[in-house]
Amino acid sequence: MKTWVKIVLGLIVIGIIALFLVYKFVYNKQHPDYENIEASYTLNAQDLYQAYRSDRDAASAKYNGKMIALTGNLSKIEAADSLVTAVFVFSQGDFGDEGIRCTMLPKFNTEAGKLQPDGEVKVKGYCTGFNETDVILEKCSIINQ
Amino acid sequence: MRKQFMIIILVLICVISANAQKFITKTGHIKFYSDAPLEKIEAHNRQVNSALDLSTGGFVFKVLMKSFEFQKALMQEHFNENYVESDKFPSATFVGTLTNYKDVNPAKEGTYNANVEGKLTLHGITRDIKEKGTFEVKQGKLFGTAKFNLLVADYNITIPGNVGKNISKTIEVTVNITLDKADK
Repeated sequence: MKTWVKIVLGLIVIGIIALFLVYKFVYNKQHPDYENIEASYTLNAQDLYQAYRSDRDAASAKYNGKMIALTGNLSKIEAADSLVTAVFVFSQGDFGDEGIRCTMLPKFNTEAGKLQPDGEVKVKGYCTGFNETDVILEKCSIINQ
Repeated sequence: MRKQFMIIILVLICVISANAQKFITKTGHIKFYSDAPLEKIEAHNRQVNSALDLSTGGFVFKVLMKSFEFQKALMQEHFNENYVESDKFPSATFVGTLTNYKDVNPAKEGTYNANVEGKLTLHGITRDIKEKGTFEVKQGKLFGTAKFNLLVADYNITIPGNVGKNISKTIEVTVNITLDKADK
């Protein structure tokens, strides 16, 4: 086989491998493993809620898009369709209970469903912001004490 | 004294009846769908706040942009960082009116047309919108649905030329909400 043919074939193979890697690790990359991401902040649930209530812009800049570990007294567990949400209630408003709503990763739905209201729990989740009534955490996991 | 007591009772009755007309949800669902030549993309947000006051027709939505979930992580990153700039504009809001609110009777089960108009703020741009949907009254709840299109250019969202065939210039928005009585 002529040298130039070998070079062209080699370049084609390298190109195909590069395309595959770009597809797999860039274009089609997986969502983060939320359960195993280290929390950027660890704080009391009420402190997080008060941070948003007292200065929403500052709290948004600090916490939105971050993984946050929270400790607090659970108020209730809500289940709707396939979503299970742990709720920490700190005030009342036009929308009823207001506080922090933590939507669980599906693998924690059963464990979350067994949590008792008024008990202290520690959860970790991805903070998407404050919607005027609640701080929203998604992809939450329960951290074993 | 008796007159004052009667006034207080009347005010309380008014407040209670007004509350009885207010319906809310914190788990509304909004879907974005883009149908472009090279790719179909959809995103879901299941943490939508919405309130409807059937005594005035007042209707509001509050949607956190970072709560939209895409199948592809890369698309979700581009959506938040490049298109809707969710750090700068963390939420979208709709403040408007169900103009035919008097037609919707929450005490009578059935399906009602919903004519909604108001101001939609997305990516820092506020525009008037006027859309149609339906409300189904069932077991004391209001099941609202609507489907409409938004032009991304109307909200100063720029799609780069190199992904022009991957993302549609028109986004189909589907809204599904289950509103419960606020005083429940």
